[in-house]
Amino acid sequence: MPALSVASTETYESGDSALRVVAISDEREENWLTVHRLAGWLEGCGAEGIHGAVPTYDSVLVEFDPYLVSARQVRAFVQLGLRELDATGASSTEQREFDVPVVYGGEYGPDLERVAEYQGLDPADVIRLHSEKTYTIRCLGAPAGSPMMDGPAFPKPVPRLKDPRLSVPAGAVSVAGRQAVIAPASAPGGWCVIGQTPLTVLNLRKEPLVPYKPGDILRFRAIEAGDFAAYAGRELEPRP
Amino acid sequence: MTGHIAIQQPGKSVVTDLGRFRGPRFGLPVNGALDQYSARAANILVGNADNDPLVEITALDFRMRPDTDILISVTGAPLTLTVGGRPCSQWEPVSVSAGETVTIRGIHTGLRAYLAIHGSVEAPTLLGSCAPDTVIGFGLQLSEGTSLSVRKSVHPVRQPYFDLPLFRLGLERPGMGSALLVDVTDGPDFAEFGDSAALLFNSEYTVSGRSNHIGLRLGGQLPERTSTGEVLSRGVPVGAVEVPSREELLVLHRGRGVTAGYPVLAVATSTGLDILAQARPGDKVRFRRTTVAEATSAHRRSRQQLETLRESVQTVFDLLGIGSRPGWQDLAAAACG
Repeated sequence: MPALSVASTETYESGDSALRVVAISDEREENWLTVHRLAGWLEGCGAEGIHGAVPTYDSVLVEFDPYLVSARQVRAFVQLGLRELDATGASSTEQREFDVPVVYGGEYGPDLERVAEYQGLDPADVIRLHSEKTYTIRCLGAPAGSPMMDGPAFPKPVPRLKDPRLSVPAGAVSVAGRQAVIAPASAPGGWCVIGQTPLTVLNLRKEPLVPYKPGDILRFRAIEAGDFAAYAGRELEPRP
Repeated sequence: MTGHIAIQQPGKSVVTDLGRFRGPRFGLPVNGALDQYSARAANILVGNADNDPLVEITALDFRMRPDTDILISVTGAPLTLTVGGRPCSQWEPVSVSAGETVTIRGIHTGLRAYLAIHGSVEAPTLLGSCAPDTVIGFGLQLSEGTSLSVRKSVHPVRQPYFDLPLFRLGLERPGMGSALLVDVTDGPDFAEFGDSAALLFNSEYTVSGRSNHIGLRLGGQLPERTSTGEVLSRGVPVGAVEVPSREELLVLHRGRGVTAGYPVLAVATSTGLDILAQARPGDKVRFRRTTVAEATSAHRRSRQQLETLRESVQTVFDLLGIGSRPGWQDLAAAACG
């Protein structure tokens, strides 16, 4: 049941063209819902000069054109939005579900053994923990609209790589800290890659370019390396 | 009437605009012209909308030839501009006749030049912007033999006497040099750096050769984060000054990934980002602490200059009959007819 109230927030200056709004309640879900609802409200309000909002876990970055609107005006606007959201309450949005086949370990997941060793687990346990969880997509991040999710129930947070890779392939399934992610595009990366999905996540001919949005549900399913080719070229799509 | 421009020597050039402002909400960086002032000025000088596609040329020499008459302007870093072998002024509209070669050579004390064409050029768009995104592999990167479609042709406008420059619009040019002063405001995580934050304002930094449109890497005395603990991924503003390693300071520019987990020490102002867009490897950078209110005023002053320029250009173009409105050429033709 989504929280109906809007979390308290703090607003920080972030240069002349952006503000960072942070939700500071003790409830993580409420914070997350607040910043995403605020981002949605800002996108939809059509205020002149506001480019858009980037919501993540407990914060939202609001970007604007300082020629058309000042940081002070945007700050007042954010307060207006929060009051309005508090008054209307959260509406339930449709949650779609995504199934993601993953080849774990080997060349597809070069850090699987390392993660297992650090956690004091067998690679098979890491795969089990990673694929038995139901994930909620928390936000879209770098690179290219990556689905950022709360990570699997590992005993410890996963340290980032000391030497980030110069290139991680599209489809890479990674973990770091208490987070999990899929890479829609090839990019440098410092997260631990434990597998790869053969599905295509990013489609430049569609808008938005990735099929999921924050709040959607995602599950990983282990497949054999031999089946990678059979899935390759297919697009990630919500379950009907 | 339309035509084409053949790219003969691309150097390192792309077709871009002011940025993909709808990108960040979908996890894509804004990208677009790194020196926004110069890009806007280039478009305004040829009577375009600020956000029309134009060519961004980085560091290397460039050469092209149109098969129709066009009107261009070149702004940004100082360089040598010639049209059909004649030296021409930067920061002014310049007529190019069909078949004449346009060369841009010797970009110096600065890194990026902007070439706008009256009527602009065709370029594919993504989320409403043609700005290249190197991470997802989108955008129009120019190579030898690329043919750009021009949307409009303009009859040559020439000074009859010695081909002297016709326009003297006198736009203030941004200062450039190898010692750059960049204004920054305190970042949202300024306090996490304790007393060491002051180093940012008291030290000189050197631009590393590993700098690009995603971020500038600067060597020098580094402030250190005093707090520890995991930082949740957050949206980071363009201009964010971070200390991700013990070796370099990182100032994120328009190609930055929209989310990151590093604390933001300071944020370069809009005018500061234009200065950084022109920083060459080896240049020295100093940071000056300012407030958001002052940064906003500074930015508005420079945008106001561009508005004044737009009015001057419109007046001159109306007189010369350039652009969509009927001018004296049409009136003269009507009188004869």
